[in-house]
Amino acid sequence: MAPRKLLIKALRYLLIGVLVIVAGFPVYWMATTALNLNSQLYGTGQIAWPQLQNFPDLVSELGNVPIGLWLFNTLLIAAGGTILSLTLGSLAGYALSRFKFHGKGMVGFFLFMTQVVPEALILVPLYAMFITFGLLNSLWGLILANVGFSLPVACFVLKGAMDAVPYEIEESAIIDNCPRFSVLTMIILPLIMPSIAAAAVVSFFAGWNEFLFASTFLMDRNLWPASVGLASFVGQYETPMSAVLGAALVFSLPAIVFFLLIQRKIVAGLTTGAVKG
Amino acid sequence: MPALSFKDISKSFGDNTVIKAFNADIHDGEFLVLLGPSGCGKSTLLRMIAGLSEITTGNLLFDGAVANEWEPKKRGVAFVFQTYALYPHMTVRENIAFPLIMDAFRKWYHLPIVNIIARQRLMKRPDIAERTLKIARQLELEPLLDRRPVSLSGGQRQRVALARALVRDPQLYLLDEPLSNLDAKLRTQMRSEISALHHKVGKTFVYVTHDQVEAMTMASRIIIMDKGVVQQVDTPDNVYDNPANTFVAKFIGSPPMNLIPASVRPDGLRLMGQIPVDHGAEIPTRREVTFGIRPEKLELRVEGEGRIPAQVVVVERLGAETVIGCRLMTDKAGNEELLIEHDLVFVRVSGNPGMRIGQACSLDYRSEDVLWFNVDTGERLSLKKK
Repeated sequence: MAPRKLLIKALRYLLIGVLVIVAGFPVYWMATTALNLNSQLYGTGQIAWPQLQNFPDLVSELGNVPIGLWLFNTLLIAAGGTILSLTLGSLAGYALSRFKFHGKGMVGFFLFMTQVVPEALILVPLYAMFITFGLLNSLWGLILANVGFSLPVACFVLKGAMDAVPYEIEESAIIDNCPRFSVLTMIILPLIMPSIAAAAVVSFFAGWNEFLFASTFLMDRNLWPASVGLASFVGQYETPMSAVLGAALVFSLPAIVFFLLIQRKIVAGLTTGAVKG
Repeated sequence: MPALSFKDISKSFGDNTVIKAFNADIHDGEFLVLLGPSGCGKSTLLRMIAGLSEITTGNLLFDGAVANEWEPKKRGVAFVFQTYALYPHMTVRENIAFPLIMDAFRKWYHLPIVNIIARQRLMKRPDIAERTLKIARQLELEPLLDRRPVSLSGGQRQRVALARALVRDPQLYLLDEPLSNLDAKLRTQMRSEISALHHKVGKTFVYVTHDQVEAMTMASRIIIMDKGVVQQVDTPDNVYDNPANTFVAKFIGSPPMNLIPASVRPDGLRLMGQIPVDHGAEIPTRREVTFGIRPEKLELRVEGEGRIPAQVVVVERLGAETVIGCRLMTDKAGNEELLIEHDLVFVRVSGNPGMRIGQACSLDYRSEDVLWFNVDTGERLSLKKK
């Protein structure tokens, strides 16, 4: 191999290595901190490598809080929001992709607007609405609020993918005696699975990481998602840092696994229609 | 009663009218070809028959009943798309069986998830499985049944599309340029296969194409369209031998019919206003006409032996025959700017006559092979015996 090519290759690996360290170090530091004792963190100083002998202490400390329940609540909120966003998003995306109707442009505009408005801005009116409809302190209410933000993204991602499906395939199904709804469920949706996966990831993580609405709308400690539960560790006089980071690690792991499982499909989904197939 | 009738059908997209007052009957069991250049409205017409496009005005009759508002399902047609429109996520077997499965679906089978289970169960139903297999055998697709469309060649995909159309045994087959994506050799093969299929099933075929060879070789009748207007409805032979106007004369045939401007003077006929020709038969009474003759009806002769003096400009050897493009020798004939195709007169001769470019020659013809056209409207003129 020519020296120049070798140098370029070495530089490329160096750059990748730096990026991996930049992205991975917080996770490593989170794990290391979690396995340090609070006395070390606040006293003698943190040890930079994992102290595995402290693992039982971490487990007993996390045992004092309902972290399993909080994770389950988070899963309910994230999965519920994802299912609802994908269901409504595929219907709306199909309508926007295939039908001509008055106000079509306006619908697209309003969907886009939801992404522009900051969540904090609509917190107060949403709170008032939730009181009126009895949705306060309810997981369903929180799911609905999250869907308001994740649905437009899902809708746009799916609409883009549906635009790339040739009309003829759909017309062929209609000729074959397939009703419209089944054209969507049996023909179109299986063809845009990568985009569905991409939209699912966006919706799922929006629900998984959500904090603002959850901390505002949920008062009952047993309904909290993990994000709010984690924040509750921070006390006025004391913050058990190893427990916070331990809980954060437990909170992150399912999301990381979920992402690793479908990352290939996400890349395919986000680039659908970018090049002629 | 015709299988299908068009009564003053028109189709507009906003202010743009793509089909104007279309009238035609399609008879039971015939192979009707809709032929015309791109954008003439032939595919739109096919989509209107299938119920995929709305009819703006006029009536479409299926066996005498007005079918304008009928759903595609009620029309009982099969449609083969130009792009084949196979379902990419299904195997060949599932693609072929899909229309049968849809016919067997109950309403609640269409529920999400239920439809997946129902489809899998119906695929195994003996009548559906057997029918699918029978059609696959008929089109030599049996070894490919468990493959997906992406792994098939163009010809194989085309056959799958045909199989999917055949499986339901409809009364009417609609084919929208199904061979246009195939290479020349495969196209010839598939042309024969589709013709054979038509003879075998004996149903009505409506076939859209812009390829005159497909139309001439497959059709029992041809409807030639241009700019949304029917130019001629006739058998392939009649369309070729007796074109209704200059558009049809130019569109059918390769090379197309030679259309030469001619003047009728008291002293006889003059081609291109200058070349006097002793026609030897009755000529139109109009002053200016278009003189039409097919390339194979012209005779190529050595200089001075024919009635029309000419010069060889193009020689195209096609193997068994040769097409020779000649320039008629008028006063302007020496002008090189006239060396463009529509100024040339083409002669088709068998074998290789050994002509060289620039060589002087002459052309001759039999007067009964000449067709006359109105120079303004392009309509064919008939010479009525007094």
